[in-house]
Amino acid sequence: MHEGAIAESIVDILKQVKEENKLNRIVKVRLKIGKMSGVMVDALLFALEALRTEEDVVESTEFEVTETDVKARCNLCNRVYEYTDISDIVMLCEQCGMPLDIIEGKEMKIIDVEGE
Amino acid sequence: MKRVIIEKKILERNDESAKKIREILKNRGVFALNFMASPGAGKTTIIEKTIEALKDNYRISYIDGDLDTDRDASRIKKLGIDVVQINTSGACHLDADMVLRALEQVSLDCDILIIENVGNLVCPATFDVGANKNVVILSVPEGDDKVKKYPVMFNVADVVLLNKIDLLKFLNFDVERVKKELKEINPDADFIEVSAKEGYGLDRWFEYVRNLIENSSLL
Repeated sequence: MHEGAIAESIVDILKQVKEENKLNRIVKVRLKIGKMSGVMVDALLFALEALRTEEDVVESTEFEVTETDVKARCNLCNRVYEYTDISDIVMLCEQCGMPLDIIEGKEMKIIDVEGE
Repeated sequence: MKRVIIEKKILERNDESAKKIREILKNRGVFALNFMASPGAGKTTIIEKTIEALKDNYRISYIDGDLDTDRDASRIKKLGIDVVQINTSGACHLDADMVLRALEQVSLDCDILIIENVGNLVCPATFDVGANKNVVILSVPEGDDKVKKYPVMFNVADVVLLNKIDLLKFLNFDVERVKKELKEINPDADFIEVSAKEGYGLDRWFEYVRNLIENSSLL
């Protein structure tokens, strides 16, 4: 379960944010996780929950996760294909037969942090 | 309440380390292959055969990521090349920092650096380890439905080796299905059928690696 490593990376970034912004407590963190990132949101939340007792910085932090669908674009005709289920992905343009580029859905980001 | 907008990549640190690895390897003229597959797909056997076939013409170093033990590393060491073992102590994947530390120990007086990732078809796909090419091995006994079951891994592959094709005659495995689904999830990936045990297809694979190395040095 590599979500443990991802959760640790999040905590490391939050420690830095807390220090840089002189926050006493991190109240809420919004995350954006693409469906093609390879991260299972439930497993990530579980890992973050487990870190609460070890890491003061996330002791009482609320995590909100937005999962993004996969969007892929044809570079020839610019058509964008959207996939909700990643097992449906076809990375070829129906019209041009060209390989598509994933433009969204691979990201793993911290969008913003609320603190006091 | 204070709101801080950061829009920060969670794996930024890993990506930075992967970039450093690429720079180090480029400066040393080393081409790195990252092998990923399920446990038992035949990573170490294919790597052994590849080293045997190429070691007279190329200098090869090897980094092995394993949860525990140095069994794979000892197998490769017998071939007389420089080996560094990373025990991930439980982690299911290699990350760029682990590889960066291993680069301090492994000989970079080489043409090819082989990185054998932890046996796992899920986790290693998420972590860029700074290699030039990702080699994903699928083996016939695992079943012909794996490409769409593990789309993230097959999407990051530059080349997919289908191993143990000597077992096709015993199992219900549709090679065309794998090819079709790979084309859908990753149209740019190359596909080579091999049997590391019987030797079938290996010459094509060795030729493929030679071409990668020769073309990379032209860049």
